Amino acid sequence: MTSLLSKIREVMVGWNAGRVTLPYPAAPAPPPPRFRGRPIFDATKCIGCAGCANNCPAREILVYDVCQEIRILKYLGRRCTYCGRCADVCPEGAITMSGEFENATPAIGDIEQRLELFMSTCQRCGRCFTEPSPLEQLKLKGYRFDDLEHDRWVFRSQGYLENSPVVDDLTIELD
Amino acid sequence: MVARDLLNRLKEMLGPALLRVDTPADDRIFIHVERDAIRAVCRHVFRDLGARYVISIGADDRPFSGQYLVAHDFAFDAAHLLGSVVTHVPEGDPRLDSITPDVPAANWAERELRDLVGIEPVGHVEPKRLILPDGWPEGAHPLRKDVAWNFVPEGYDPERAFKFGEPPPGCTVVPFGPFHPTLDEPAHFRLYVEGEVVRGCEYRGFMVHRGIEKLAESVLSYNDIPMAAERICGICGCVHNVAYAQAVEEAAVLRAPPRAEYIRTIMLEIERLHSHLLWVGLACHILGFDTLFMQSFRIREPVMWIAEKISGNRKTYALCLIGGVRWDLTLELIAELRRVLDTLEAEWRAVIKAVLGDKNVQQRARGVGVADRSLVQELSLIGPVARAAGVPLDCRRDHPYAAYDRVEFEVVTHEGGDVWARIVVRMKEVLQSIEIIRQCLDKMEPGPIQLAITDELPVGRYGLSSVEAPRGESHHFVITGENHRPRRWRVRAPTYQNLQAVPAMIKDQQLADMTITLGSIDPCFSCTDRFEIVDLATSTTRVWSAEELARLARAGRR
Repeated sequence: MTSLLSKIREVMVGWNAGRVTLPYPAAPAPPPPRFRGRPIFDATKCIGCAGCANNCPAREILVYDVCQEIRILKYLGRRCTYCGRCADVCPEGAITMSGEFENATPAIGDIEQRLELFMSTCQRCGRCFTEPSPLEQLKLKGYRFDDLEHDRWVFRSQGYLENSPVVDDLTIELD
Repeated sequence: MVARDLLNRLKEMLGPALLRVDTPADDRIFIHVERDAIRAVCRHVFRDLGARYVISIGADDRPFSGQYLVAHDFAFDAAHLLGSVVTHVPEGDPRLDSITPDVPAANWAERELRDLVGIEPVGHVEPKRLILPDGWPEGAHPLRKDVAWNFVPEGYDPERAFKFGEPPPGCTVVPFGPFHPTLDEPAHFRLYVEGEVVRGCEYRGFMVHRGIEKLAESVLSYNDIPMAAERICGICGCVHNVAYAQAVEEAAVLRAPPRAEYIRTIMLEIERLHSHLLWVGLACHILGFDTLFMQSFRIREPVMWIAEKISGNRKTYALCLIGGVRWDLTLELIAELRRVLDTLEAEWRAVIKAVLGDKNVQQRARGVGVADRSLVQELSLIGPVARAAGVPLDCRRDHPYAAYDRVEFEVVTHEGGDVWARIVVRMKEVLQSIEIIRQCLDKMEPGPIQLAITDELPVGRYGLSSVEAPRGESHHFVITGENHRPRRWRVRAPTYQNLQAVPAMIKDQQLADMTITLGSIDPCFSCTDRFEIVDLATSTTRVWSAEELARLARAGRR
């Protein structure tokens, strides 16, 4: 008997809810303001400090200097976890976590972003990336020289890491 | 005080074998002992002092001290003390007395020690491979420091198969998994069945071992790891995120501001709400009761939406950095969260009232998959599995973290230790979580949410952190290190302990009860396995054609 009563109660739980299915995708479903969707890089604001590239947990942002004045910044977006750390650490506010979430694509290159940046010679300290805390500063002495063709991290360094236990963490090319 | 007591007893017992004892805080103790004394100490701690075994950590400390390091973590729950028995193992002789004969709960952890760090537990009761794939050559241990994160060993033998034990006489072998409709993730149970009754079983899992720990200690940095830690689990990600941050903060003697602690508590409880609602739904689905499965998920959805509004994502909150949190709560969000909780409470009370009287569910779940008090103690089971057996274990109360020392709540327990008891416990805990969030919202005061970190973190310090995940205690152990990353970060997800009890829980039960028994511990194999090979160096992609795949499959079958 109690079981019958509980069955009726269970039916009521569903009955009272009414219709809950949303019309998406027939109607748009805008995400809330804080939503962390696809990061959008603004080439007009970016100063090319590569702070985002060195603090991306998924290692999805590459840096390559074509020459003294031109730096390429490439966002791959494949493994991107949309954590928003790049936007956090960007000193210029050049990265926005947008509301884009319909990013499924058969062509992986569709979500890539490539910035070609003019790097004028800085007259000040020469360090453009100011770390939010010491935990974000670069510990490895050297520079990024990523392989854009094969989307590989390459870290170049001189005379570093002879005996270091962490040599193997990055592809290191000794000049 | 308890730490002092313990210290005196150990001094008396061990004499010179006790090298050093650190008590960095009232609720932490690190006992450094000689290698030969490890078994006696662990037996004493586990058997005589009634401590709960948590996990064993193996670390390659050779670049720093020239030795390997092994730590066995124990929890004195009643005394609110987390402890670690630490010893060093010389490089030339990487062997250590196994503690598994005395502490059965250490079975897997010691096998992992052997697989990943290459320290042989001498006298282990079941010295079989646990984590490494069957074809992996002997002598290659991924967690050693001289092994690169992307190391591929020579001599991989794809033909070698795991050697299972002999089935008991008169039993038929029924394979369960690696792919099974009720398992969301791969794991293999080899069931020994007599008629309809399961007489025994053997487990072979770790098929989704992802190498997150290795990545953390060789590639990522302190503030990268929280985002990776979150991806250990798709359900209790925030738990790992917070547990990692807390372990590092403890090691570096930092403390997040009070508002950040409240926000951590709130987000952890939001996660518990969604997890409990999800699990109750899934458990009902396994039982064939899809009405409640649908309704649980419907009731859960507003919880996901509010999480998205607060953190920017339904599930991966990306909440913590070292020393704080990233998302603050505005007044509008607080008001909306309160509304969500009110609706949730009303709806969930109706569900509890309906289901607790449902005889059909009870008939299916009572007396099934029993884990009684003695099993809970022997295998150091945790979370709802322990609480359903009447053992009031809850890290939130026993080892308070974040803001849990400032809120009041009840540790829900039930008697019986069966699947039904677990359903009751988790259904009622939802109401406690709602209360905790309300108290946090009342008590929270304006203030900073991120500690200003002005110095680099100290090197070589230990930090422990236990966080009560929805399915049990998640334990993180961190040794801080150079280059802005830990030397060692060990994650023990709750399923790691609870899964070891499944063979005992399923013994002499009907074969048809296997699914709900396994489902009732809420297994999370990815959490337990913690490995994903992401090739950072050669992220070249390749599209396989159907012909190629077929050829590959045929080649594999040959």
